[in-house]
Amino acid sequence: MNSPWSLRDYVFAAFMTIGMVASIFLVGPFVPLPFLDLVMWAPFGGIFLTLGMARLQRRGSVALMILPLAVLLLPLSPLITLYLVLTPLATEAVVFFRGNYRSKANRLLGTVMFFVSGVLIGLGSIFIVPALVNTGEFIEEDLAKIIEKFAVLLNNPWLLGVLAVAAGITGSIGWWLGEKVVHQLQRAGKLDANA
Amino acid sequence: MPTPRQVRRSPLSRINPFLKIGLSFGLIGLSLFLRHIAPMLVLLGGVLLLMTQLKLRPLILGYILLMVCIFTGSTALLLQNWPEAIFSTLRLLAIVLPTPVLALTTPPADLIRSLQTVRLPSFLTLSLMLIWRFFPLMQQELQRIWEANQLRGIDLKWRPGKWFSGLMVPLVFQMVVYADEVTVGLQTRGYSPTEPRSNSKPLHWRWADTLFCGVAIAWLTLICYLEWGR
Repeated sequence: MNSPWSLRDYVFAAFMTIGMVASIFLVGPFVPLPFLDLVMWAPFGGIFLTLGMARLQRRGSVALMILPLAVLLLPLSPLITLYLVLTPLATEAVVFFRGNYRSKANRLLGTVMFFVSGVLIGLGSIFIVPALVNTGEFIEEDLAKIIEKFAVLLNNPWLLGVLAVAAGITGSIGWWLGEKVVHQLQRAGKLDANA
Repeated sequence: MPTPRQVRRSPLSRINPFLKIGLSFGLIGLSLFLRHIAPMLVLLGGVLLLMTQLKLRPLILGYILLMVCIFTGSTALLLQNWPEAIFSTLRLLAIVLPTPVLALTTPPADLIRSLQTVRLPSFLTLSLMLIWRFFPLMQQELQRIWEANQLRGIDLKWRPGKWFSGLMVPLVFQMVVYADEVTVGLQTRGYSPTEPRSNSKPLHWRWADTLFCGVAIAWLTLICYLEWGR
C-alpha cells in the first residue's frame, strides 16, 4: 500500500504527540478551576500541534498526531479515546475544504478548530447524559453524581460558548508561539516548512 | 510507562499481553457495576496480589497511600457517609489499578509483537512504540531543562512568562534532534513502515497463558457470584 507519509513523518508526528502529552502533565498542576484544563493547555499543546502541521503539511496531519494517542489510551478510558478520535476528525473535516497545512492561515484554522471542537465535544457531551437516562442507558444514581459535578455547566449552558471562545483564543496563542518556534527551527536549518 | 529495562522479568511479564489487556478491560467494566463490598474486596484483593509482581519504590507507595487517604477523607466529608466513602475509594482503586499493574508487567517488545498479530496499521504500531519508549525520556529532558533553569536562578514555577523561552523552545529543539536521530536509526536498520516486518520471537499461546486464563475466569466468576449469585 502506497502511503503519502514517510518514515520521517511518522517519527516526527509521534514526537509531537509526546510533546503534547508532556505539556499536559506540565500544565495540569497549575489549572486553577475545573473545566479550564483545555483552555490552559491550549497555548502549550498548540505549539506542538502547529509544529507538526508545519512539518507534515498534508491533510490528515492532526489525525496522524492524535489517533495513536487515542489508541494508546483505549485500555485506560474508551471515552477519552472517543473524544480523541472525534476532535481531530472534526478539525480535519474543516481543513479538508481549505486544502492542506502549508499556509499559516490554515494552520491557525486547524489549531483553533482543534481546541474549540475539543471543548464542544468534551464538555458538550455532558448534555447528552439526560438523553441517555431517558433511553435507559444510564442509571439515575450515576446521573445525580454527574449533575452534582457539572451543575455549574448544566445551569449555565452559555459557559460552554465562553469556554470554547477562550480555548480558541488560547489556541491562537499556541499557534503564534508555534510559528515562532517554526521560524527558529528554520533559521537553525532543522525544519523545512513552507511557512 | 515502562522502558525495556524497567520491566522486571516476573511470571506475569511472560503472560500473553492480549490476555492482560482483556482482563484489564473486564476488571474495569466489572468494577463499575459492583454494588456490594464483598465482591469489590475480592476484585481489589486480586489486583493487589498482582501488584506484588511489581517492584515499587517505597516513596511511590507512600504517595499512593497518601492520595488514597486524602480521597477517602474528602469524599467522607462531602458525603457525610464513611461506608460510602470507603466503597467509592475501593471502586476508584479497582478502576485505576488494573491497567498500570498489567501494563508495567508487559515489556514494550511483547506489546508491539501482540499489536502486530492483530494487524494494526504499521504506522500505528510504530507510533505507539515510539510514544511508549520515548515519553519517559522526554519527561527526563523536561526535568533537566527545568533544573538547568533553576541553576541559573530562574524558578519557572513562579515565572510562567519564561515557560516559552526557557522551557518549551529547548524542549522542542531537543525533540526535533531526537526525531531526526530515531529516523536515521530506523532507516539504517532497513525499517520501512509499509513493508511487513519479520519477527524473531513470534507470540505463541503457552501453558502459562492457559493457567492464567483459567485463574482469571475463576476469579471473575467468584466476583460475579458474590455480586449477583447469592
